[in-house]
Amino acid sequence: MPRSADFYTVGVSYRSRLVRRLALAAPLVTILLFLPAPVLAASGLSPLLPPGVSPNGQNLYNLYNIISIPAIIVFVLVEGLLLTIVVRDRRRRLGPNYKPPQWHGNTRLEIAWTVAPLVLMIAIGALSFTELQRDFQRPFGSPSDMEIDISAHQFGWSYTYPQGFTVSSEGTQVQPLVVPTGRLVRIKLDSEDVIHSWWVPEIAGKTDAVPGYDNYTWFNIQQVGQYRGECAELCGDGHYSMQIMVKAVTPDDFDAWVAQEQAAQATPSPSSSPSPSPSPSASASASPSPRPSASASPSPSPSR
Amino acid sequence: MATLALPRPKSYDDSFWKPISLWLTTTDHKLIGIMYMTTGMLSFVIGGVFALVIRLQLTQPNGKVVDADTYNQLISAHGTTMIFFFVTIFMTGIANYFVPIMIGARDMAFPRLNLLGFWMIPVSILLYYAAFFTGGALNAGWTAYAPLTERQFNPGNGVDFWALSLIVWAISGIMASTNFLTTIVALRAPGMRLSRLPLFVWAQISTSILLLIVGAPLAAALILLEFDRQFGTNFFTTAGRPVLYQHLFWFFGHPEVYIMILPGFGMISEIIPVFSRKPIFGYSTMVAALFGIVFLSMAVWAHHMFTVGMDIYVETFFMIMTMLIAVPTGIKFFNWIATAWRGSIEFTLPMKFAFGFMATFLIGGITGIYLSSVPVDTQLHQSYYVVAHLHYVLFGGSVMTIFAGTYYWFPKITGRKLNETLGEWHFWTVFIGFNATFLVMHTLGLEGMPRRIYTYPGGFGEEGWGATNAFITVASFLVALSVLIFLINLVVSWRSGEVAGDDPWEGNTLEWATSSPPPPYNFDRVPPVRSFMPLRDLRGDRVTREPVPAESPS
Repeated sequence: MPRSADFYTVGVSYRSRLVRRLALAAPLVTILLFLPAPVLAASGLSPLLPPGVSPNGQNLYNLYNIISIPAIIVFVLVEGLLLTIVVRDRRRRLGPNYKPPQWHGNTRLEIAWTVAPLVLMIAIGALSFTELQRDFQRPFGSPSDMEIDISAHQFGWSYTYPQGFTVSSEGTQVQPLVVPTGRLVRIKLDSEDVIHSWWVPEIAGKTDAVPGYDNYTWFNIQQVGQYRGECAELCGDGHYSMQIMVKAVTPDDFDAWVAQEQAAQATPSPSSSPSPSPSPSASASASPSPRPSASASPSPSPSR
Repeated sequence: MATLALPRPKSYDDSFWKPISLWLTTTDHKLIGIMYMTTGMLSFVIGGVFALVIRLQLTQPNGKVVDADTYNQLISAHGTTMIFFFVTIFMTGIANYFVPIMIGARDMAFPRLNLLGFWMIPVSILLYYAAFFTGGALNAGWTAYAPLTERQFNPGNGVDFWALSLIVWAISGIMASTNFLTTIVALRAPGMRLSRLPLFVWAQISTSILLLIVGAPLAAALILLEFDRQFGTNFFTTAGRPVLYQHLFWFFGHPEVYIMILPGFGMISEIIPVFSRKPIFGYSTMVAALFGIVFLSMAVWAHHMFTVGMDIYVETFFMIMTMLIAVPTGIKFFNWIATAWRGSIEFTLPMKFAFGFMATFLIGGITGIYLSSVPVDTQLHQSYYVVAHLHYVLFGGSVMTIFAGTYYWFPKITGRKLNETLGEWHFWTVFIGFNATFLVMHTLGLEGMPRRIYTYPGGFGEEGWGATNAFITVASFLVALSVLIFLINLVVSWRSGEVAGDDPWEGNTLEWATSSPPPPYNFDRVPPVRSFMPLRDLRGDRVTREPVPAESPS
């Protein structure tokens, strides 16, 4: 039976073969989709960023979702074209006499698929730039906002509060960074040794702590809660242990906590330091050495 | 095409074993190419074993398969091995074998430089692995960021061995690039105008230009690092500018990504037309897209550094340049699709891998868009999302093209076809195993799992990563199985595969005009070259001389 180049004329056999192939492909696709299903259920696999509890994190969540729209369209379009070719253009189906069209190119089409990605990319770039100007323009906030100095070291963090005391978090012995809700907190990051990176995914993106200069980020947490994170830049053997816990409390609780910390800092335990003179305000912030955790500080329990 | 009637030298028969003295002293680009490819394959196996140990360690929270320092050495060795000693080297091998044949030359322009360049690679590899036996190899990731690699924080010898190894590697790469460019410029057969070069050769031109430009900055960065470590200078120490190292390293490091994928693009551009029985769609835009990528890839390096605290306008520049790479890459993608569109497609193994490549590489390209956006990148950077992305472009991209190219050219190299059944098993295990491994890995990054962590101790809400990681580990062993099948196929088919003949695929380019395997001098007589598909013209069964007036592919 002679076969024509036009596949519509062999539509019947084409369709039956297509149906057969789809029938064969369907179980495979189903297996691929459902094989990880128990895992999906167990671990809450999410294809999206965590919705931020701070406006900048929320903006990243939104931007990610906006980029996903063209991304999914392009994905479906291109994979669809590939599948169409795989199913339709096989020599086995078309027969040996089928002479494929010898296209060498098509200027209009090629211009089209040059310009379309260009426009799409410029749009995504413009959206990203808007977000950069909104949330990444340094310096952040106004000087009246609260500024916490974070100094990273192998393998922990020291949080120095404007009130003059320091909280140290060493490795997995996590002491939370306690902050008030509803207030813009500026974070000044520095490192004592190698490069570390501050990352609490539920709050916002990463900021590197690089020795030699100060780096800045900010957040304004809206909900009371504990948010986990960890160092995101390989910094040595203990990198994995360099955990972060940010605890957002109400402004009243925060003031009470600050008062407790200041009291604890003003009366250091006799064994810790030979110097007898706690002039309470001056000494605390100058000392970068890890301080044994104050008993009054909030529980390090990770449960949220 | 008539087969060659001349008798071939005895040592060039298609037997599996050849005398060792021949391998050690040959300046034949084909044998050097085989040695490059063999070295690359061995590195692939070694790097794969590293990967499996990494996966075992990460299977459960608080894993204790290896200790933290060993783990950090393993991740560094996995990256270094796969990037420098497998993909780049294997691609160089394929090009070394086929570029001279495809342009109708007898050998490379500088055969002895070629030999020297190759033998520097085992030196480079041994230098790197030697560190494992002298107190520990590099343990700071394959990027080896300062100041973690400075003597103050890294007193062992691992960093020094690594730096010396890659300096040797870079010099070898510069030699090879010079040689390729000279060969392609000077040794083309009569009629092989630049406008008729096979696209694989064009891809090799662009790759060589890139390596020629960025090889030196890599060596420079590593030499400065060694100055810091050995002579107490302060280029990248805490007293200097650690971020300068990142700039220098990524000025090499990002183009290196394209050094690893552009030859693959070239292979796909050869394979799809042959098995679709259609000419490549938009030859000149394909070439233009290659050079667009070359140009752009050298102006995007700082997109690896969006969290170090650059000015937002600088970040915007690098973001836009990065996004623009989607344009030439998109052109190539759509041109491949248009080439296959309404073709008469034979889904042989090379073609299967070519389609597998397009299906998976697309995902890597799309996740690249998210990563290029500076704000979104601050979330995804250094997380498992990036690990998934880079494996989609490197494994789903480069390695799939390596598989495609190997199935395509193995008959030319050995005279025998790779076994079909084993090949089918290889394709489906790698396609399913790869996607199962890396697709879910994106979600780990979105949930906050940073890359390069030794373990997740539990107790901080990250226990949920355990199930996903266990699934990934199981799937990664499927990938390992697929590679095992592939290796068995290589050995078995080389010794006793089906004899292929000179032109088993009805190819378009000159390598199919000579015998399989080709004689040392490649051609008795180079066939006339009147288009970029000289063999098809000879066969005379297709219209290629005059471009058909363009039509819309439906």
